[in-house]
Parts: sequence; structure tokens; C-alpha cells
Amino acid sequence: MNRFICSTTSALGIIAALLLFPEITYSAEEVASALRRYKEREVSTGYYEEYEVLPRHQRPMVGVPGVQRGIFPYSPSAARVRIRTRLADSHQGIKFYKRRRCEDCHVKETKDIHTIRANLTCRQCHGGEPIASIEHYYSSMNPIRRHAAVCSKCHEGASASFASYVVHTPNPAMAATKKTFPVLFYAFWIMVGVAVGTFVVFLPHTALWGIRELFAAKEKTTSEPKQHG
Amino acid sequence: MSPNNMARIKRFTPLQRIFHVLLMAAFLAQGATGLARMYIETPWGKKLSWVFGGYESALTIHKYVGIFMVCGFLLHVLYLVAAIDWRRFPSSLFGPDSLLPHGRDIKHFFLHFGWFLGINKAPQFDRWGYWEKFDYWAVFWGMVIMGSTGLLLAYPLAASRLMPGWGLNVAFWIHRIEAILAMAHVFLIHFFIAHLRRHNFPMDRAMFEGSADLDDTRHERPSWIARLDKAGTLDSVLVPEAKVYRRVLFYLLGYTAVALGFFLLIGGLVNSPYITW
Repeated sequence: MNRFICSTTSALGIIAALLLFPEITYSAEEVASALRRYKEREVSTGYYEEYEVLPRHQRPMVGVPGVQRGIFPYSPSAARVRIRTRLADSHQGIKFYKRRRCEDCHVKETKDIHTIRANLTCRQCHGGEPIASIEHYYSSMNPIRRHAAVCSKCHEGASASFASYVVHTPNPAMAATKKTFPVLFYAFWIMVGVAVGTFVVFLPHTALWGIRELFAAKEKTTSEPKQHG
Repeated sequence: MSPNNMARIKRFTPLQRIFHVLLMAAFLAQGATGLARMYIETPWGKKLSWVFGGYESALTIHKYVGIFMVCGFLLHVLYLVAAIDWRRFPSSLFGPDSLLPHGRDIKHFFLHFGWFLGINKAPQFDRWGYWEKFDYWAVFWGMVIMGSTGLLLAYPLAASRLMPGWGLNVAFWIHRIEAILAMAHVFLIHFFIAHLRRHNFPMDRAMFEGSADLDDTRHERPSWIARLDKAGTLDSVLVPEAKVYRRVLFYLLGYTAVALGFFLLIGGLVNSPYITW
């Protein structure tokens, strides 16, 4: 009897604890990703394990083009249908969100100068949970206050115009950029055209010149004008 | 070379030579600091940035050298205004002593190609070959493009007052592609023409010494010598060869630049797949 009361009390106690104590908040951490946290520790301590200092290009994960990694890939078509640009929590309703890392879905967004070179983490600009959609009125990323709330943390004196710099620059070579950032697309291809044009003309030109001069004897010590070759 | 004391023909003034050496040094510094930052993800880029004190100070050096180059360019434009023969203006601009492109340059280009393939005789070049004019104007417009985009990127807050901030994305890519074009052109084509082709091997000292071998010039630029002969001014532009220690210095300068250029070119090419573009 005693034992029964004892075990019931303990069980009720555990249930009460589970109900009353606050939920463990994985995503509310300042840095959600273990990878990022590790990167930060490495940068701040300068201490690297031997196995970590392989050259950058030896990436352990091999991606298959067009195939999304993960056990529960978020449907791209569903994302297109659902409008997520004005929500207080832009990640609302995404399954297993707490257990996921930003770059699981936002792969391209990790490949910009701010992330790669300045070692910024996503949350240093986008903030902690919940991350509001950029067009939500109170979002710190809303263009009406983005420059003051986000950019000026590092770029002192940033203006709204300054904040229109596209941090997650699209690949300027891609056809999709023609629609999203036409000026960048055309500037890129015009410059590439100039560069390719120069080398298409001058590489064969210079190579042929070098070969031809091998056949032409270097004429010397003559007083009258002469042609080579 | 020749025992004749006055065996060389004057080709560049001391001021032009000083500007070329300064441009060389600044160009290499900009190339090295720029690539150090661009390749910071690779071990090669990290080593390169170490030379300049790291990622941050490489940018500081890049900015100061860039401002130095912009000032040099503005001085060069002033020099151009002073150097133009205003008394015979504007016909002086289209003469053989001018670097302005001319119809005969296009003709010479095709004739030169014909000579490469043995179709016709070599064209009669005057003082400036079409490739030299191309090099000059490539640097000229390169300075305008690199200087303007570089200043926008160096002062982004001020720049975004003049234009929308997304213009910096565009400026960044223009700066990057033009830099790659300029370095590849100088390190491959300019160096080949000035050092490796048989006529100039191992090095054309004209831009450092200020003069070129008269016989070689007669051979490569017959029109120029014929023109000076006809005008009777050839003797007035003949100069003796530089002293040995100066020639050694010129070779050192030239080959240091070639070595640095090839180091940057090869390192850049080999490591290009391993950076985030």
C-alpha cells in the first residue's frame, strides 16, 4: 500500500514537473547550430583539432544536385503557396523546426561574404526566435528600420539606401538573376563579354606571334630599314 | 651589345618611366592584397594575406594603394593635357607619335596576323604598335573602372547616398571581373610580349632604361626610323646604353614583377575552384 502511494506520488510529481516546468527551448538559443557554435569557439580561441584543419574544399557532405537532404524535406511547392513574408514567426508550422538548423533549408544564404568571410552567424542579423518575416511590421529586418536595427550594428551610420545592399547576393551568372537583379546580371555578362573578347583575340594573337618569331632570324647590324621574316 | 656609343634610340621620358614603375608596384600590391582577400578561404589566400598582416590590414593597404593610384591617374590626365601638341592640334592627335587608335592600327593588326601565318610581309610599324596602344588604353579605362568602383566600395556609406545601396553589389562584381581581366592580361599577354617572345627575350628594357636598341628598332619599327631619318632628327634622339649596374637593376625589377605576377596568376587559377564566388 505504502509502495503504491509512493510510486503514484512520484509519477504525479513527474507529470506535474513536465506540465509546469517550461519547455526546453532549443531554437531560442542565440546560436542554434552546433556547427556555428563550434566555428565561433574556434575563431575566438584559435584552437583547432588536427582533423579540422583540412583544406576547405574537402567537404564531408556530398550533395546531389536537385535532391534535398534531410529526412523530412520541406516541400518546395508548399513553400511557394504559403505566403511567409508577413508573419510574426516566419517559420510557424514547419515540422521539427526546433531540431533543425538554418542552413538545412537556407543553403544558398550561407554563401555570402558576411557569412563566409566576416564569420557572421544567421542570428547576428536575423535575431533570436521567433524570427519575424521581413515584411512583418515589427520585424527588425523590415526595410523601414533594417538599416538602424541591423546594419548599423557594424556599419555605423548606415542609411536605408545602404541597407538595400543585397547581402545574400544571387549568383550573377544565373538566368534567374535576370529577373531578381537584372542590373547585376547584365553588368556581370557585359564584363565577362569584355574579358572573354580580349582573350579570344589576344591569346591566339600572342601565341602565334611567339611561334612566328621562332622562325624569323633576328637580323642585326644593318643600316637600312628592313622587314623581319 | 654594339660598340657604338650612341646605339640606342630614346623611347620614353624619365617621367613616363617613373610612372610606369609606380604603376607596376601599385598594380602588384593591389593584385596581391585583392587576391589575399578573395582567396582567404584557401590556405594559399591565408598565406598571402599573412604577408600584409591579415585579412583586415590587407584591405587597409588595398584602399590606400588604390587612392594612390587614383591620384596617379589624375596626375597622368594633367600630364596628357600638357603633353598634347596644342600648336598642331587636332592633327597632332592622329599622327604617328600619338597613342590614339587609328585606322592603320586595325590594318596593322590583320597584316601582323598575316605575317604570323606567312601570308604577307610584316607590317611597317611606326613608333607605337597596335598592341602597345591597346595596352595603354586598357590601363586607362581599367583605371577609370577600377578607381570608380573601388572608391564606391571603399566608402559605402557615402556611395549609398549617391546611389541605391544595391549598386554596391554591382560595383563589387565589376571590380572583381575587371581585376581578373587586368591581371590575366598583364601577367600573360603583356609579360609574354615584353619578355618571352624571341625579339625581346629575356627582357625589353625600353620602359626602364628609356631607350631601345637602334638596330632592333629599325628592324621592328621601320616606319618610325624612316620618318626620323627623313626629318633628319634621328641623331638627336640617339643615346648611349645605360651602365651595367643600372641594367642589372632593370632586370631585377622586371623579373621580380614577372615572378610575382606568375605567382599570383598560378595561385589564383589553381585555387579558383575552392573559393565561394
